[in-house]
Amino acid sequence: MSPSRRSWARPTGLAPVAGLAIGLYVAFLLYPIASSLLTSFTDRNPLRADSAFVGLANYGQLFTDSRLLASLRFTIVVVIVVTIVSNVVGLGFAMLLNRPAVGYRLMRTLIFIPQVLSGVIVAFIWRSILTQNGLLNSFLRNIGLSDQPISWIGTPDLALLSVCVVVSWATIAFATVVYVAALQSVPGELYEAARIDGANAVGRFRFVTLPMIAPGMTISIVLCLITTFKLYDVIAVLTGGGPANTTQTTAFYLITVAFTTNRFGYASAIAMLLLVATTVIAYSLTGLLRRREADL
Amino acid sequence: MIRARLRPRGAGQFLFAVFATLLFVLPVYIALASAFKSQAQILSSPLGLPAPPTLDNLTTALERSDHLVTAGVANSLVITVLSVGILIPLSSAVSFWLSQQRPRIKTLLLAVFALGLMVPPQTVLLPIVQLLRAIGLNNSYPGLILSNVGGGYLSFAVFVYVGFLRTVPRDLIEAARIDGASDVRVWWQIVLPLVRPATATVGIFLALWVWNDFLNPLFILGPRQGQTITTGIYVSLGTYSTDYGQLFGIMFLAAAIPVVGYLLTQREFIRGLMAGASR
Repeated sequence: MSPSRRSWARPTGLAPVAGLAIGLYVAFLLYPIASSLLTSFTDRNPLRADSAFVGLANYGQLFTDSRLLASLRFTIVVVIVVTIVSNVVGLGFAMLLNRPAVGYRLMRTLIFIPQVLSGVIVAFIWRSILTQNGLLNSFLRNIGLSDQPISWIGTPDLALLSVCVVVSWATIAFATVVYVAALQSVPGELYEAARIDGANAVGRFRFVTLPMIAPGMTISIVLCLITTFKLYDVIAVLTGGGPANTTQTTAFYLITVAFTTNRFGYASAIAMLLLVATTVIAYSLTGLLRRREADL
Repeated sequence: MIRARLRPRGAGQFLFAVFATLLFVLPVYIALASAFKSQAQILSSPLGLPAPPTLDNLTTALERSDHLVTAGVANSLVITVLSVGILIPLSSAVSFWLSQQRPRIKTLLLAVFALGLMVPPQTVLLPIVQLLRAIGLNNSYPGLILSNVGGGYLSFAVFVYVGFLRTVPRDLIEAARIDGASDVRVWWQIVLPLVRPATATVGIFLALWVWNDFLNPLFILGPRQGQTITTGIYVSLGTYSTDYGQLFGIMFLAAAIPVVGYLLTQREFIRGLMAGASR
C-alpha cells in the first residue's frame, strides 16, 4: 500500500470542523457545568466585587431551605402524577386509535398537536380556560352548574391539580405517538397464536401486547419523567409559581434564586442538585425498566 | 357471521374514539375558534363556532404598536433558520468524523456528548449568560444562536447522525476515498445525500425546539432586546391579560408556522420521533 493511500484511511480533512463543534460544546455545555460546580462552593453574588470560598455551606443550606424542599415535594408529585397519567392515557389512546382507517389516522394527527405547541402557548390556552374569570368558569355559569367562580389556579390544591392536567395534556400527546409506533411493531400473528391458544382480551394484552411494547414503554416513561422534572415554561405562564409559592418546581425556583435574588453560589448548588437528580433518575430508571422488559 | 359480530363493535369503538379525541383536543379547538371571535362571544359561548367569524383579532395583533407578532415571528425565523442551518452541517460533519475514529475515541466522545441530552437547561443557563457577557455577546442574537449551536441540541443531532451512519455501508465511503476524493468532498457528495432521512429528523426537531424555546431566549436576549415570538407573548402580555380575543389572535399567528410545519412533515415527524426517542 502506498503511503499516500494509507493517509486516506483516516479522514483528517474534517478534523477542523470536528474541532470547532467540540470546542463549541466545551464552551456552552461542559464549561458551564464545571463553572456551576465551582461556583457552588462560593458565595458569589454579582452585586459584590469578590466572592469567598465557602466549602459545602451552599449544599448544607439545601437541607434547611423550606422553599427548596417545598419545590422538591411539588416537583416529585407532579412528575409522578404526570408520568402515570400520560402513560396510562397515552397507551389507552394508542390502543384505541391503532387502526389503519383514514379516520383513525386523522385522529392520531390531531392528538399530537399539543406536543407541537410551545409550553408557553399551551399554558396561555389553559390559563385562559382556568383563570378566575376564564372560559371554564363562564361555561359553568352559562350552563347553570356553578354561580360561584372556582379558583382553579388560585388555591394551592386546585393549582396543583391544574398544573398536573396541563402538563399531562402535552405529554399524553407524546406518549400516544410512542405507543402507537410500539403497537405497530407487534406482529399480528402473535395475536392470532394467542387467540388459538384460547387467550382472552386481557390475556392477549398481558402476554402479547405488554411484553412487545415494553421498550417503547421504557422510552415513554423516561422521557415523560425527564421533561417534567425540568418543567419551567408552563409554571412561569400558568401560575407564576403561586399561589404563595406552592407551585414552584425546583427548576423554576433555581431560576428565581439565580436571576431574581442573584445568589449565584447557592443557585449553582441547586443547579448541581438538579443535574445529579436528573442523571441518576434517568439512568437508574432506564436500567430498572430494561430489566423489567426482560421479565415480561 | 364474523362481520356481523365485528361491525357494531367497530362502529362503537369508532364513535368512542372520535368522542375521546375531540374531548382531548378541545383546548386546541377553543384556541382556534376564539382567534376568530369577539371578546363577548368568547365569554358567552366558549365552545360555540365563531358566528359571525371576525378577523379583528388577527388584524389588531398584526398592527400592534410594539410589533410583537411581526417582529417576533421575524426574530424567531432568523434565530431558528441560522441555528438549524449551522447545526446540520456541523453535526453531520462531526458525526461522520466520529464514525471514522478508533472505537475507543468514538465511545469516549459519544459518552461526553450523551451528557448534553441529560443536562437540564436551567443548570447551565447562568454560566452561559456570564460567558456571553464576558465575550460581549450577551443580549444578542449571535449569542443566542451560538449557545443553541454548542449546547444540548448538538448532542441530539450527533446521536441521530451517528446512529444513522451505522446503517450506511462502509464500502460506499471507502470506494469514494480510493477514487481520491477528499474527506470534505466525501462528506458533501456522498455522506450528506445518504443521511438525508437523519437530516430530516434533525432539522424538524431542532427547528421545533428552537422555535418553541422559552428559557434561553428569555434570559439570553433579555428584556430590552427584541424577543422571539415564544417569549414575546409572555413578555408583552404578561400572565394577567384578560383580553382573550387579542391573546388568542396572537397565539394563532404564533402557532401557525409550527402547526402547519407539523401537518406538512407528519410522516418524517413521527419517524423522527421514534428514531430520536429510541436513544
